Amino acid sequence: MSRLSRPRRLLISALGLAGFIALWEVSLRAGLLPGNLVPLPSTIPGVFWAEIADGIWFEVVRSSLSHYAVGVAIGSLLGITVGVGAALVPTFNALHAWLARLLRPIPPLAWIPFAIIWFGVNPTAAAFIISIGVFWINYFTSYSAVRSVDPGYDEVAIAFGQQRFVDRLAKVSLPAAAPGILGGLRAGLGQGWMTVVAAELFGIPGIGQRMMEASGLLATDIVVVYMLTIAGLYALFDALFMVVQRRMLRWQP
Amino acid sequence: MATLSDTPLQDDASSAVLRAQGVSLGFSGTTILQGVDLEVQPREFVAVVGASGVGKSTLLRALAGLIAPRRGEVEIPAGNSPDTRAWSMVFQAPRLFPWRRVRANVELGLEGLSLSRAQRRERALEPLALVGLDDYAERWPHTLSGGQQQRVGIARALAVRPRVLFMDEPFSALDAITRRRLQNELVDLRRRSDAAIVFVTHDIEEAVLLADRVLVLGGGKDDTPAGMRDVIDVALPKEERREHPGFAECVQRIEGLIGTSAANDAP
Ligand SMILES: Nc1ncnc2c1ncn2[C@@H]1O[C@H](COP(=O)(O)OP(=O)(O)OP(=O)(O)O)[C@@H](O)[C@H]1O
Ligand SMILES: [Mg+2]
Repeated sequence: MSRLSRPRRLLISALGLAGFIALWEVSLRAGLLPGNLVPLPSTIPGVFWAEIADGIWFEVVRSSLSHYAVGVAIGSLLGITVGVGAALVPTFNALHAWLARLLRPIPPLAWIPFAIIWFGVNPTAAAFIISIGVFWINYFTSYSAVRSVDPGYDEVAIAFGQQRFVDRLAKVSLPAAAPGILGGLRAGLGQGWMTVVAAELFGIPGIGQRMMEASGLLATDIVVVYMLTIAGLYALFDALFMVVQRRMLRWQP
Repeated sequence: MATLSDTPLQDDASSAVLRAQGVSLGFSGTTILQGVDLEVQPREFVAVVGASGVGKSTLLRALAGLIAPRRGEVEIPAGNSPDTRAWSMVFQAPRLFPWRRVRANVELGLEGLSLSRAQRRERALEPLALVGLDDYAERWPHTLSGGQQQRVGIARALAVRPRVLFMDEPFSALDAITRRRLQNELVDLRRRSDAAIVFVTHDIEEAVLLADRVLVLGGGKDDTPAGMRDVIDVALPKEERREHPGFAECVQRIEGLIGTSAANDAP
């Protein structure tokens, strides 16, 4: 297989995307697709602008971001803490191993009934649901990242007087497992967006709720505006995270 | 079984920096090595030789207190200086922390001692200069060659100013040229460090080249654990040993004790 040069690859990718949109536009105008089910791509920028001008866009993005931030922060923090703890403390690991195996297959959205009973239909419930998926990703990646740390590093730490648990945690386990832990965090950032919308579909204000409203009015163009919004926010967060990650792991070859 | 009778410094036992008596070692059920007695005097260089798998690394770990011996006692009398450690170790692989820069790696053992940040920095740069790597202090370990990394490992061990320095085949992973250079550096370094050294190697020539005494391990068979074959005093001048006529003779004597002249080529 021959490799493409970078500019060539970017050009072809851009052409692919543009071609897809053009095909979509043309098919609608030619009547090959039903106009009441699919919006015209050329109308999207205008609709997007209208959502912003109304202040609706900022309002729903702000509320979604706040569930997202709280859910991701809590899920990540708990996931990493419990995962690292399980990897380092055998008793703790054994204690909750079966419980984890039992709860793990339950999808985050299956917790919606409990979320509503415990918190009501409000942002806390959405944050709770988001945190569940994020928790599991971080839990498993940080557990296996710490477990696969070379025990030779621990021996070095002990040989040089760093035998206290906190010292080994801070000077060996966490830095050595950092690549894996950060990989889990990044996957969690993506997982969070998957559940944001679903969690809002049952009436908590945010992007998901706005999309449900729009779909009720058959305003497919608005639905597409928010799909693109999610894609854009995800790309932004992921890029920001990559910058942080690269900086934290600059010791890697 | 040899005893310490051929140790000239034995009467001076009170000043020993390391004392091991009747040490037996093993793993789950099997004893691999037994009856090791050793006393190391300040500034002394003791080499431990033996065939691969005889238990050299395990013995070193036990002498350092990283693992408990099955039987017997090991003692490294604690010093009373709050800014040094009683012992430190150079491992077979450099085992630097890749997430720390070179200087921070060397500072590892200094953390927790009563030293200010600036003092720690100074104490790290000093041994780095000794191994010729002070210009590399702010580098990441992966940008160093294998030999340079091993030298950082030596600097890290020297930084704590140990009274006993354990070295587990520190040069065996290196090419012959680098090994030769580091061996010469070690001879040189000995003049500037107060540490006693316990040096494990399967290379008998290396042992004779560097050591004051050579502890020879051997004799293990299927069921019987290995033990101390003898402790040889290397009665050769400190300089230019390789060229000394007594060198080859001493090497041969130890090869005879181990019972294989191929031990030299063991991996
Ligand atoms: N963790 C362990 N569990 C069980 N057996 C072990 C363990 N570590 C070492 N052994 C066994 O103990 C014996 C001595 O091992 P050791 O590593 O001390 O040998 P060595 O003399 O250092 O050999 P080499 O020159 O190859 O490094 C070997 O037979 C080895 O199989
Ligand atoms: Mg060994």
